[in-house]
Amino acid sequence: MKHAILGVAFAAALAVPAFAQDYTIMAPANPGGGWDGTARAMQEVMQAEGIAKSVEVMNVPGAGGTVGLAQFVASNAGDPTKLIVGGYVMVGAILTNGSPVTLKDVTPIARLTGDTEAIVVPAASDIQTLEDLVEKLRADPGSVSWAGGSAGGVDHIAVGLLAKAAGVDPTKINYIAFSGGGEAMAAILGNQVTAGISSVGEFQEQVKAGTMRLLAVSSAERLPGIDAPTIKESGYDVVVENWRMVAAAPGLSDEQVAKISADIEKLNASEGWTKMLADRGWTNTYLAGEAFAAQLDADIAATETVLRDIGLVQ
Amino acid sequence: MRQGSSPERRPRGAAFVIAAGLTGLAVMLLVDAAGLRQDGGYAGVGPADVPRIVAYGLLVLAGLTVLVGVKGDLPRPPRQAPAPVLWILGGLGLQLVLLHVVGFVLSGALLFGMTARAFGQRPLWKNVAVGLVLALVIYGIFDRLLRLNLPGGPLEMLIFRG
Amino acid sequence: MDSFSLLMQGLVTAMQPMILLYALIGVTLGTAVGVLPGIGPALTVALLLPVTYGLDPAGSLIMFAGIYYGGMYGGSTTSILLNTPGESASIVTAIEGNRMAKAGRGGPALATAAIGSFVAGLIATLLLAFLAPQVVKLALTLGPREYFALMVLAFVTVSATFGDSALRGLTSLFIGLALACVGIDGLTGAARLTYGVPQLMDGIETTTLAVALFAIGEALAVAAMLQPPDGMHKIKGSVRMTATDWARSWKAWLRGTFIGFPIGSMPAGGADVASFLSYAAERKLTKHPEEFGTGAIEGVAGPEAANNAAAAGTLVPLLTLGLPTTATAAIMLAGFQQFGLQPGPLLFVMNAELVWGLIAALLIANVMLVILNLPLIGLWIKLLSIPRPWLYGGILLFATLGTIGVNPSPVELGMLILFGVMGYGMRLYGYPVAPVVVGLILGPMAEQQLRRALAIAQGDWTTLVATPVSATLLGISAVFLVVPMLMRLRGRGQVLSQVAGDAD
Repeated sequence: MKHAILGVAFAAALAVPAFAQDYTIMAPANPGGGWDGTARAMQEVMQAEGIAKSVEVMNVPGAGGTVGLAQFVASNAGDPTKLIVGGYVMVGAILTNGSPVTLKDVTPIARLTGDTEAIVVPAASDIQTLEDLVEKLRADPGSVSWAGGSAGGVDHIAVGLLAKAAGVDPTKINYIAFSGGGEAMAAILGNQVTAGISSVGEFQEQVKAGTMRLLAVSSAERLPGIDAPTIKESGYDVVVENWRMVAAAPGLSDEQVAKISADIEKLNASEGWTKMLADRGWTNTYLAGEAFAAQLDADIAATETVLRDIGLVQ
Repeated sequence: MRQGSSPERRPRGAAFVIAAGLTGLAVMLLVDAAGLRQDGGYAGVGPADVPRIVAYGLLVLAGLTVLVGVKGDLPRPPRQAPAPVLWILGGLGLQLVLLHVVGFVLSGALLFGMTARAFGQRPLWKNVAVGLVLALVIYGIFDRLLRLNLPGGPLEMLIFRG
Repeated sequence: MDSFSLLMQGLVTAMQPMILLYALIGVTLGTAVGVLPGIGPALTVALLLPVTYGLDPAGSLIMFAGIYYGGMYGGSTTSILLNTPGESASIVTAIEGNRMAKAGRGGPALATAAIGSFVAGLIATLLLAFLAPQVVKLALTLGPREYFALMVLAFVTVSATFGDSALRGLTSLFIGLALACVGIDGLTGAARLTYGVPQLMDGIETTTLAVALFAIGEALAVAAMLQPPDGMHKIKGSVRMTATDWARSWKAWLRGTFIGFPIGSMPAGGADVASFLSYAAERKLTKHPEEFGTGAIEGVAGPEAANNAAAAGTLVPLLTLGLPTTATAAIMLAGFQQFGLQPGPLLFVMNAELVWGLIAALLIANVMLVILNLPLIGLWIKLLSIPRPWLYGGILLFATLGTIGVNPSPVELGMLILFGVMGYGMRLYGYPVAPVVVGLILGPMAEQQLRRALAIAQGDWTTLVATPVSATLLGISAVFLVVPMLMRLRGRGQVLSQVAGDAD
């Protein structure tokens, strides 16, 4: 029966003229999150720029995106009109949840945007530099409480990596997971925790206003317009990027993949997308093809190691 | 929530069933909690502690429910007609099974039709026809206009893509 | 320019006919989608936000404001008339509101909800305009321990007031707490009670549980009645509020507003918590305690004012700090960003015109909503004259639409059926259903805040009473808990027999 439906769907898809293909983008998260935002931004720009005639966004929330990923793989094989948005968080969630479906089961198209992580302290804190913070961490790991996003997420991973690089047992970090960026930020602003970690964009306005002190960023190079050293140049070999990507269904022909890749490249090159990224404060980290595939593999391997170190994956 | 009931002071079977259900829920919580890696970290309160507290609470409540049952204090529900309940549950069940096969419109029409049947409206086919029109309108507005992605089937393909 | 003249300028901008038309479209769409059972404000805003793209900033902003407030308004209608809340903040509205509707007083119930929402929206929007920076400073001094204390207070007040039997109310609450344990533990990532089902990892969706317990449970219970009570939905008397209704409502509106606004402003508050506390307050303060549970108008007026005031309160951390504290707020943040507007501490300084434009838009949307909704009450009431088979067929169709639209998985639909049957069973034996949802919402909040507070203090339990705010809140909770017990002990002997004897 399923095949019959797929057949019908396929026939219908073929009936649409090939130059402006319809897409359905799955955001494997609830409305309001980063993946949902990425999917809806793609929808808007792809329609406005005429890259696709009609784009639908579909939310399948759950378990760090793994519920959506599993459904995407199970029901869309061979369908070139289906896309899924995902990212670094999904890499961690697949490992911590023991998801049977992994990123190997989809066809990665391109990395679109990325967020750099930033470590901040409240303005009232006596900690001035990353070195001060690490010293405190070495002396008594429990006394440094970190506010960040969900357990096992990119924020948690970054703290684990930093602890390890500083020679502190990563299982001893006092990481306090908050749901949603707002609550974690409130805890930092209210001086409830020692330090906070999240994407640079989330803290930028606070740092400008002087309510938080930015100690370091997690990128490989210093970021333009941001007055803070990288973690790496402070002497700890930690580089973390919370990237977001778009992938297509498994089982596509080379031509189909080429067509989707071309559309995404058009999206990336469009003026509308550039403006959208600027509006949202996202960095364009477009990377496609072989280079992206290689980077994905490297990230998966590194993440697995650190999650074992923190003790989240057995 | 409140039912017109005439309390009769004699032991009530239902209370024991409810107590057994609560106990079962408590046991599920306790068994699951036992299997968790108890890692309280710096808080000292780990993921298994709250489920345990809730489970103990449920056990106490189950005990009190038995007490109430012995005294016969539970409200006695009025007599129920089982057929309408089965019609509605059937409609929901069919929707669950058929949603991804025949799409939102047809499965929704069946749910609507069977619910109407449960409330005494016949014939069933006419109910389903009314439901079909309603579901089509809903699909048109939400899926086509507002882009809420609803599962489509052959019918949706035929009408909205053709 | 000072705040007042900026606001005036915003209002003048917003008074152009085209802008007013956009406002009208916004509130109509927001109400229309928000009124559907199972579709809450977050989904409403997410669905309708794209409608605002492509308009000029002023038009877009006002349509946006209309959708946001309209979505909040819409939620109460089905709660009152059909006992099927569309969102968690309207659950307590269903308790008294639906009783009123069943007693033929659906009109006044809808009217007090609409006018209460208007009053609360008006006051809270003005508070937002003039006090936001001060309010947010206060809100930030609260941390996990204060939130934990607030949750404890909510538990104590709410559980003491639900239903007519303490035993059955507590049982319902504990079922909710047990359901709240399902899913990934927010602090350690441990999976609880998920049995390897990935859909269970994020826990049980509040909307799914609420829609199942209320809408489906109600449909089953009504269908199974052998003799449907005659004319239980017939309208008696006027659809308008009487002088007594006004006299009893206005204080509740004000109390609801002043409970809702601060709680909405707190980064870990929320409209649902505000509505629970407001209901509990009304129940304690009323001069007509005998009417609670059978349709007391204060029980509708207070919570509806509270949840709308909380909706405006949510904008305080959003506009002053750029903190989205609810899903709806997060979607709105994306909406703001299309104008290149970055909410944050400098927003009021850098984008003064847009901010005041938004506040003016909210005020206008609020007025428009009450103008739109009061005449609509007559129409909504007509919903009830739809023959029951069609009415309940439609309710179930919309109830499942909300679930299918957000998460079309068989597991989710299966839970809908399972909890629907549970809701039916609970109705049969006089167990109130609202406390289950309350437990599901408050349980994880209380647990996570407690564990966060303890982790920050490295396991030192005295941290919970270390600040005046947390100590006071816990103290009040203790008083609420102990005093009634002492009175029962003195008055009628054993607590136990009292708890058991409460059953009828």
